[in-house]
Amino acid sequence: MGLFQLDSYVLLLSGNDGLKFLDGLSTNKVSGTCTTVFTDQNAKIIDMVDVITVGQNIALVGHADYKDRLIGHLSSKILQQDVIFRDITPNNKVYLSTEQWIASDGVTVVQTFRGWLLVVSNTIHLESTMTLEEFNDYRVENLIPHQGHEITSNVHPFNCGLEHLVHESKGCYIGQEILTRMRSRNKMGKQLIQIQNPTETATTRGTTNSLDIRKIN
Amino acid sequence: MDCGTCDSGPAIVINTPQVVQVELTMTQKATEMLEDAFGDDRSHALLVGVLSGGCSGYMYDLQIVESTEIDCQELEINGFRVLVPNASSHLLNGIEIDYVDRLMGGGFKINNPNASSSCGCGESFS
Repeated sequence: MGLFQLDSYVLLLSGNDGLKFLDGLSTNKVSGTCTTVFTDQNAKIIDMVDVITVGQNIALVGHADYKDRLIGHLSSKILQQDVIFRDITPNNKVYLSTEQWIASDGVTVVQTFRGWLLVVSNTIHLESTMTLEEFNDYRVENLIPHQGHEITSNVHPFNCGLEHLVHESKGCYIGQEILTRMRSRNKMGKQLIQIQNPTETATTRGTTNSLDIRKIN
Repeated sequence: MDCGTCDSGPAIVINTPQVVQVELTMTQKATEMLEDAFGDDRSHALLVGVLSGGCSGYMYDLQIVESTEIDCQELEINGFRVLVPNASSHLLNGIEIDYVDRLMGGGFKINNPNASSSCGCGESFS
């Protein structure tokens, strides 16, 4: 396995209310570095985001195509809170390593359920060692959803393998009533599964197996 | 991560809603409850704000404060000083502050004509 460059954005939050602000609007308990999901009123996904505390600031790493939606969602919620966003995407590249990676100068590393996430300054040169096909095989074998494939605005977190990012007992956030009701009634709808090829409906097609979101009886 | 240049870089432009001159009302029951809370002391004020969060995206925030660093407009309602943050004035214009007297879910309640939906407990709205 190896290293794959993700198509990600990096937002930097500064201000005293950053973690509280993120905690009040996303599915996981945000009290430090973690992964969480922002959902809309129907509990459909806006983006899955890695939250990384960096000194007094907080970095948010999400999928590039979902950046505008997330900024639109969050910016309307900043009222009298002390929160400022900066887009530092142009200064950084984001990689996922399937093996442990040690942080170094200019390379911030956090372990996530997907692997080791690296936020790397543009001044440092790293080469992807995995092709897209190899990255997809890694995801399929480890049942790891990805934005644009399984993680889309058409599904809620339970559908696409992100149940572990929906905290069971935290307070209210947008979409919480729906997700809590689904969980308490054990009616979480379709689920992310691995299926053997060939398949017509795969959300991610792997070499021998694929990922799909299906109703499980 | 390269965030060494970010502090000098531009913040993402947030389309801040226009500040509106807030008008609000308070029911007789809410006034009575505030009289109980304040007594004869009118040096404090009722801060009526909005924070992000809650099931519907915004949560009401009621506080009794002596002063605040938040940029607010000050109103006088039924003899009480009421502070409304300018940042949330567009969400609070026209509200009615009520008090609901019941065992479960009782307390101050905001009736907000700007809210398109609110959650079951009544503390948050969108």
